[in-house]
Amino acid sequence: MKLDPRTKMVMVVCLSGLALLYNTPGQLLLVFAVTVALLMIFHFELSVIGDYLKPFLSLMLFLLVIQCVFSPGGEVLLAAGPVPLITTGGLSMGVCVVLRIMTVAAAAMLFTTFSSRDFILGLVQWKVPYELAFMVSIALRFLPVFRDELSNVVTAVQLRGVELKKVPWREKMALYRRLFFPVVYGTMLKAQQLAVSMEARGFRVYPRRTYLRRLNLLGADIAVMLVCLVSTIMLIALHFT
Amino acid sequence: MAFLELTRVSFSYPKRGRRVLTEIDLALDRDEITAIVGPNGGGKTTLTKLMIGVLQPSGGQIRLDGRPLAGYSLGEIGRRVGYVFQNPDVQLFCGTVAEEIGFGLTNRGYKPEMVEERIQFYLDYFELGVYRNVFPLHLSRGEKQRLAIAAVLANEPLFLILDEPTAGLDAYRKKLLADYLQKIARLGRGMILVSHDEPFVGRMAERVVALKDGRIQSDSGRKGNAAYEA
Ligand SMILES: Nc1ncnc2c1ncn2[C@@H]1O[C@H](COP(=O)(O)OP(=O)(O)O)[C@@H](O)[C@H]1O
Ligand SMILES: [Mg+2]
Repeated sequence: MKLDPRTKMVMVVCLSGLALLYNTPGQLLLVFAVTVALLMIFHFELSVIGDYLKPFLSLMLFLLVIQCVFSPGGEVLLAAGPVPLITTGGLSMGVCVVLRIMTVAAAAMLFTTFSSRDFILGLVQWKVPYELAFMVSIALRFLPVFRDELSNVVTAVQLRGVELKKVPWREKMALYRRLFFPVVYGTMLKAQQLAVSMEARGFRVYPRRTYLRRLNLLGADIAVMLVCLVSTIMLIALHFT
Repeated sequence: MAFLELTRVSFSYPKRGRRVLTEIDLALDRDEITAIVGPNGGGKTTLTKLMIGVLQPSGGQIRLDGRPLAGYSLGEIGRRVGYVFQNPDVQLFCGTVAEEIGFGLTNRGYKPEMVEERIQFYLDYFELGVYRNVFPLHLSRGEKQRLAIAAVLANEPLFLILDEPTAGLDAYRKKLLADYLQKIARLGRGMILVSHDEPFVGRMAERVVALKDGRIQSDSGRKGNAAYEA
């Protein structure tokens, strides 16, 4: 199935929107499952999706622990003396955060099926200001860079002789916390350099730029978009009633 | 027995049909400096990544210190073999230059005073002292290269693999690096230098392996072998 980039964008927005709206593990798991199913319809193999999400795992583990510890509530599952460490409330919050990020990251995989050029073209044809379209495309470009960066760092850390798998979790958390900002900042620097080198090669969107090619929405695109939008709106309406 | 031993090692990147390396046989000792030379795209970087387990061979076997490489964790390999990547950006991940140098030692439980002493030594030797608290990725290409090398050397691994270590270094810094590497070689540490830099290779290497189109084209041989004497 060859869909217009804009149709895929609508799908990503719908899925991410639902992921941000829902706040129980069950609902989020469902949205995640739908996202994965969609990706499989677009010929992504399960193993490819797994490989794509794997580098995010350490970040998720970090967030899961943070959420567990800092959003208490419900029954206490694990305590260090009088201090509750893991509660049902905290655990469910943590699982929600992780599922939400996985869903958004997985949905964004759809963006890898078309070029950033097509993406900007699609948005500009929808009268989105070109600066905004360009910025969004850079942000999307950032995601895979960030993922590759995380897996590079995990490798580099181990090659310095640190046995990541055997580090006790408390120290591992301290390590991740120490590396978190340098890695995020470093990735931003690199993504920025990437954007600069793209512009240097003449890739730029000008206000009165003319386009050789036009994207056309086909019947299938409109049908898929409608189904996505209508079902999302219905789910949102249901959520608030 | 060689420290690092490759037997009929082949490799192709997933989803690309073409073989990058074909049946490489190579035995390296811990007491010599080997250069791997050859044209761009010849497979030098790929070969060294296989040696440290970052990539797995699609055929053949690699042994490190007599044991199959597959039986080691990345951390265990990292403590034996120091690896400096071709691109320093992929191996700098700390918040400051000093932390970067001390990272391996700190996380392997060395005493803070001792770590500090080593940090100071490497900052001085590689003339990075003024950048002590600078964010590593803000450094220039040559400074990043020196930092990446310093951070690996600070771990004092048994064996070193440096992929294009002279890229981005000026003549004076190249000489400093060559002096230092020769000094640690005399202390019994072996190393592999992947390099295009012929004067550097000519000056440093005791053995030269030329790689082209994924095959060993020539090998001056191990110390003591007839080929080496010739
Ligand atoms: N990550 C990768 N994925 C696919 N192909 C690669 C990758 N890295 C290198 N190659 C290919 O493998 C071949 C050997 O590359 P490389 O080992 O980097 O050579 P060298 O270091 O000698 O210049 C080249 O043809 C290159 O295009
Ligand atoms: Mg190379």
